[in-house]
Amino acid sequence: MNLPQRRIAYIIILTLGLVWIFVSADGSGVSTSGKISAPQQGFLAPDFELKTLEGETVRLSDLRGQAVLINLWATWCPPCRAEMQSIEEVYQEYKDQGLIILAVNMTNQDDYSAVMPFVKAQGLTFPILLDEKGEVGRSYQLQSLPSSYFIRRDGIIHEVVIGGPMAEALLRTRIENILK
Amino acid sequence: MITLLRSLFSPPRHLILLLAALWIGLALAEKRAERHNISKAALNNIFFYSILGYILGGRVLYALSNLAVFARSPLSLFSPNIDLFDPLAALAAAFIVGWIYGYREKLPFWAVLDALTPLFATLAVGITLSHLAANEIFGNPTSMPWGMEQLDAIRHPVQLYELIASILIFGWIWLQKTDSQPGIYFLSFAALTAASRLFLEAFRGDGTLIFGGLRLAQVIAWITLAITLFTIESIRRKDQFSKATFMSRNS
Repeated sequence: MNLPQRRIAYIIILTLGLVWIFVSADGSGVSTSGKISAPQQGFLAPDFELKTLEGETVRLSDLRGQAVLINLWATWCPPCRAEMQSIEEVYQEYKDQGLIILAVNMTNQDDYSAVMPFVKAQGLTFPILLDEKGEVGRSYQLQSLPSSYFIRRDGIIHEVVIGGPMAEALLRTRIENILK
Repeated sequence: MITLLRSLFSPPRHLILLLAALWIGLALAEKRAERHNISKAALNNIFFYSILGYILGGRVLYALSNLAVFARSPLSLFSPNIDLFDPLAALAAAFIVGWIYGYREKLPFWAVLDALTPLFATLAVGITLSHLAANEIFGNPTSMPWGMEQLDAIRHPVQLYELIASILIFGWIWLQKTDSQPGIYFLSFAALTAASRLFLEAFRGDGTLIFGGLRLAQVIAWITLAITLFTIESIRRKDQFSKATFMSRNS
């Protein structure tokens, strides 16, 4: 291709690209960030309703307006156990600023009788929710334990951290971001 | 097949795919490095210095931007948590470190990028494969027969689209003969990658929208495409000009 032919080709490519951007623009609202719920950064956190260890019902959507950390865990999972003390420490530090922590125990794949003794031994004061049917695990597409979802006051997931244990600095930076 | 991939490389194990891609990509880049007049040793050095810059830069810059938090728990600086990391800052640090090394060693800029292109192309395949394994991205709802169920809807399998595109780009890059002008090889890869993103982003259901519906990734991809095409053209023109000057001097 000589120079004028190449220039024409480039102009055609870029014009087609521009046309494609406008043709494929999302005017219908089928996508995207913040509009639909998905367990991913930038999306509405999937709603759920679970009972706590004390038998109270907690619905995630009722907590809109507050920063929420959802931590999916199980007693048999060593990194889950290892990070609980750090989570408790930051909970004590930030709860007055509006931080809610929901520690969702994957009861469907855990030993229910081990949950309460573990919570007492660790001195955990934030709500422990029981996912007895694995509904939250499914809707959050749980792949590894622990998994943590940092949710902003508007209900949008700010960050997902898969695996652990989380360092205190990690917890603090993410929590300070969702409290803003 | 996809189920097996997802069970083997579910997060955070999907990062193994990226490491494997880096390793294979480096081996392939080494194999072709001398075609671009870059020695294997120089290529290895620039790669390892850049990786070092990436790892240290990503962590240190993250700590600096969250200084108050790290001041309270300074040992977190050495935490194995990969989330204590700023990926954009890490990329910038990797580029700067690589550029400084290349400058000190007097390595030609475009030839180095050409030599690293097989690594970039392999890494692109690794990234899309890790998206597939981690089920990280998803498409718009579709009624096409090849749609896949994801998030309670039949959606475009964008993870597969991106994987296929990255493999095709890798194949095209690998089969190319070395262009006489340094930079064209790398810029062709960049242009193809930008064009594929520009096209495939339309099928994604998880992008960021701007100006009432335009997809941010498409706009960035279009700008990247325009810059790469402009740069390719300016390299070719410069080459033609120097050839013409050489011929007129000799005649």
